[in-house]
Amino acid sequence: MSERTKVVSMKEAIEDYVRDGDTVYMGGFIQQQPFAAAHEIIRQGIKNLTISMSAGLILADQLVGAGTVKRLITAFTWNPLPAKAHCFERALIKGTPHEIELEEYSILALALGYFAGALDLPYVATKTILGSGFDWQSSKSGVNNRLVFHRSPINGERVCLIPPMKHDVGIVQVQRSDPYGNAQSWGMEGDTKYGLQSCGKIIICAEEIVPTEIIMRDPNRTIIPGCRVAAVVEEPWGAHPAPVAGYYDIDWQYYALYERRTRSEQGFQDFLQKWVYGVKDRREYLSLLGLERINELKAERFECHPVSYGKFAQHLEVR
Amino acid sequence: MIISAAKLIKDRDILMVGTQWPIIVSLFAKRFYCPNITICYEGGVVLQKIPDRIPLFTGDPVINSSSIMLGSCLDTLGSILHGGRADMALLSAASVDRFGNINTTCVGRYNSPAARFGGSGGACDFGSLAKRTVIILEHDKKRFPERVDFITTPGYLSGSDSRGEVGLKNHTGPYAVVTTLGIFKFDNNGEMILSQFQPGSSVDEIRDSVQWELKVAEDVRQADPATEDELRVLRDEIDPKGMYLREARLLQGIR
Repeated sequence: MSERTKVVSMKEAIEDYVRDGDTVYMGGFIQQQPFAAAHEIIRQGIKNLTISMSAGLILADQLVGAGTVKRLITAFTWNPLPAKAHCFERALIKGTPHEIELEEYSILALALGYFAGALDLPYVATKTILGSGFDWQSSKSGVNNRLVFHRSPINGERVCLIPPMKHDVGIVQVQRSDPYGNAQSWGMEGDTKYGLQSCGKIIICAEEIVPTEIIMRDPNRTIIPGCRVAAVVEEPWGAHPAPVAGYYDIDWQYYALYERRTRSEQGFQDFLQKWVYGVKDRREYLSLLGLERINELKAERFECHPVSYGKFAQHLEVR
Repeated sequence: MIISAAKLIKDRDILMVGTQWPIIVSLFAKRFYCPNITICYEGGVVLQKIPDRIPLFTGDPVINSSSIMLGSCLDTLGSILHGGRADMALLSAASVDRFGNINTTCVGRYNSPAARFGGSGGACDFGSLAKRTVIILEHDKKRFPERVDFITTPGYLSGSDSRGEVGLKNHTGPYAVVTTLGIFKFDNNGEMILSQFQPGSSVDEIRDSVQWELKVAEDVRQADPATEDELRVLRDEIDPKGMYLREARLLQGIR
């Protein structure tokens, strides 16, 4: 049986798998965020998306500012400098470019929600959230999320119930994948593994496509098996300005520049025109960024010691 | 502020460390006072050594090669924090109120805010679940309202046993607030009480710097001034480029 390769261009992956109105999980947590994919979504004019990412940072900010988002599910949308995420704030205060629905949680609540979604559990019970503004039952804060509050049938204590969070599409930037979607990622895992596993159609954006043999030599590193994956895109530097472990640093200057430039709506539009609409793909984006900056951000190699999984070819001798 | 907060950590503590000030506080504590603390970040990180450059936030990739374990949120926020094994959580805050509730969400009402901040991140989890939470922020009267507009992170809510009433686990809650002006603890009713004032500040100044009638401990005293050694380690070893000490990470000059 020969497996079908799933390698496509970013343009094809987004065209084929992301539709208006979809619920999309963006993986990578704070690190390997799929900026290249998000920019292609913006370029293709896809609308009314529900975007779910616990650390929205500036990726969620860009999607909100570009008018792509109908609902944002998040635990933290903020420029890590630290500074404001201006488009996020404008959408909530002024309703520009249009109003968005906000569904807010803590990071643990969302991580548990993704876990419940991946396993299709009825719900997960937790003792976080209680008494905070996210506990809409006790605080009457006006927060609108999907949490339910109840008494545990086991010990009668008040608990927060988190429903399964499932998504139509999941997208993440990983270090490597084979052509069939067996994808490996390392570094800070965040909520990526279960977030991705809670999705119907999964798009893997990889720094490198490698032969299956390489994936098989270190299977503990695999975060999703190919049978769950719809598309694989070879997209080096696809997470910039976010970092990828072993490949490139966070582009802190870019975060500072983004904050300065997007303080006004016009500033954000100019930014979008330059970095998203004005380039047709990530390769052109990288030309704009410049080789000098790329070389400054490249990670110095720092390898682990190889491990042996053991190889067994002989059966027991049965007498 | 950084040094005062670091002194509250005990050696061998397992810490949940939030972004911003807690990063430099915990690294300084590890280097100067408590070499055997375990520093955990929200994203699954268990740090092992002081990184080659100071992490600018809890996702800084320098962490990837300074850690003993890189797990997932469910390993640190889940197993360590929710599992009841975090001795202390360290947090920054936009504003803190009389009962140690923290707001990093909004100014004004949630559904019609005058300003929006980032939101909880892992902060709500830290405050809900850690045995002791230490809150670190620069002092400004605007940041100390009697009641915060939104409780992003639960402190003692409205005092006495409000935490128990909403279902939070026993023996969790804020332990201290550390600012550039003073160090505050919490009394049996969950109300903030001034414990020490920083050198250069005074009880009167601090009374005037919160928006309620501040309780002051009977044995309130001046905090020990920073020693030359402490300052040298902080400035030369932990943060030589002034990323936190001079806020250089904000890249103010960028246009």
